[in-house]
Amino acid sequence: MAEFKGTREAFAAALSELAAVNDKVVGVFPDSLKAMRAVSFGETYPERYIECGIAEQCAVDVAAGLASAGMLPFVGTYCGFLTMRAGEQMRTFVGYTDQNVKFIGVNAGILGGEREGVTHQFYEDLAFVTSIPNFTVLTPADPEQLYEAVKYAAAIEGPVYIRGGSGREVDVYAKDAPFSRDGITVWKEYGTDALLLSNGYVLDRVLAAADVLKEQGVNVTVADINILYGKDPSKILEAMAKTEQVVTVEDHNINGGLGSYISRLASENQPVKVKRIALTDFAESGPAKELADAYGFSPEGIAKTVRETLGK
Amino acid sequence: MNTQELQKLAKKLRFEAVRMVYEGKDGHPGPALSIADIVTTLYFDILNVDPKNPEWADRDRFILSKGHACPIWYAALNERGYFEPKVEHFNLRQLGSTFQGHPSMHSTKGIDMTSGSLGNGIAIGAGMAAAAKIQKKDYFTYVICGDGELQEGVCWEGANMATGRKLDNLIVFVDRNGWQSYKTVEFTVGQNNIAERFRAFGWHTQEICGHDVDAIKSAVSIAKGTEGRPHAIICDCVKGKGLSYMENDNAWHKGVPTDEQWEITKKELGGAE
Repeated sequence: MAEFKGTREAFAAALSELAAVNDKVVGVFPDSLKAMRAVSFGETYPERYIECGIAEQCAVDVAAGLASAGMLPFVGTYCGFLTMRAGEQMRTFVGYTDQNVKFIGVNAGILGGEREGVTHQFYEDLAFVTSIPNFTVLTPADPEQLYEAVKYAAAIEGPVYIRGGSGREVDVYAKDAPFSRDGITVWKEYGTDALLLSNGYVLDRVLAAADVLKEQGVNVTVADINILYGKDPSKILEAMAKTEQVVTVEDHNINGGLGSYISRLASENQPVKVKRIALTDFAESGPAKELADAYGFSPEGIAKTVRETLGK
Repeated sequence: MNTQELQKLAKKLRFEAVRMVYEGKDGHPGPALSIADIVTTLYFDILNVDPKNPEWADRDRFILSKGHACPIWYAALNERGYFEPKVEHFNLRQLGSTFQGHPSMHSTKGIDMTSGSLGNGIAIGAGMAAAAKIQKKDYFTYVICGDGELQEGVCWEGANMATGRKLDNLIVFVDRNGWQSYKTVEFTVGQNNIAERFRAFGWHTQEICGHDVDAIKSAVSIAKGTEGRPHAIICDCVKGKGLSYMENDNAWHKGVPTDEQWEITKKELGGAE
């Protein structure tokens, strides 16, 4: 039995634990306390629960002010409302000023937004945050990893963005598995026909795709990338050096996320072909599994794209 | 500092502000002169700060939300002793300068928060004020906004939040000079009823002359004695105040004095100690 129902419950648990041992920890919410499953935090630490109303720009500004005065704010809400509506505040008053503010943006991707539709599905957040200097960008692959990412973020001095989901995340990592500081965790090594690099909450699907491919005679390696544009990509480059074809898989727009990051590593450091599986258009409402399948993230769909890319 | 001393000092800081724009050949002198008396009174009578220890945790905070008016702030910080040795030439807006086009907290000592992107000072100030309450510190957070700036929605998001949290340690001055980039505030949005709006948002609101240093001191004193609500001090100001060729002429929202105008500046503002 998984410890957390989803990434939001994992965030709330980590926040409360951090608050218990560090009186500088505050939670800043633009009417998102309930959505972030953090009601217990609010009730336990009323002084350190900062309600801003439905006002994301205000929440980011307030967090910048709190951090400048020595507090350790965590801002949690839907990732698109943070990175797009309050993007300028994140850039100018947290990034440029290098404030110690942590952001947890949920409903990431079509899995995160699923039935809510395009207004609540966000596939552009990573393109924005990875372009702001000083930000560390963490992309956990399941609730356990998000919990670890929140704890890790608290130990980082400076702005951190963590990508969260909405409860559709499948557990992959073991409880207490550390959040890799190398930015990569290799999961399956069936062969070097291709290296499948997964990002975020599609990891279970990419792992299943590797099994489908194996049955079809294509032997791949699968790894999870959990830090984008980390300081030391050497372990990622090592993995890329073992194959001639990398395939990235991410629940994000094809521009600005994992595929862009790996393409940069390939073009600058480790020449290898890169195929990007990602979103190229707006999606729609639907049940999470069917929706993800329909937009190319079914194990069979991923396997098919890999085979086509390899000409097999 | 007494009334005459503050007035004299405000005149000197006005001169320095215009000088740095004239020398740097860029900047916003009109907005700087509009808030000269508020900034002078804050730095030389009100703010509990230590220029030798600008990061002192218990200091009063100040945010210039209308960051483009920063020349007067730079002049005040210099006069207050934040820079050793005192700055002779600011190199405003020049490559490598300590004095950025808009205030930057990591470039310039004494700046508690970067600003310049309009609208954000109230909410950031609310964050600082909330931190003081949590930390049980008794410092105050002061913000200067423009009246045009208040068209930015995030100002009122911050106003809501400050009321909800009863941040009576937050004092916001509004420089109501009636102008914004293109034309008047009234032309732009049909009205300039700032005081009514702050009252409607639950703020303790006063209206004063923004060039009357005694009124500024008194309003802050009244604000500090009023508990349970954040404070707005609406200041009637004249854009470009203190220079005959600049007063109430919105062409000086951004502009550089000619050599002839610089001569007038020296005559009207120069010579103050």
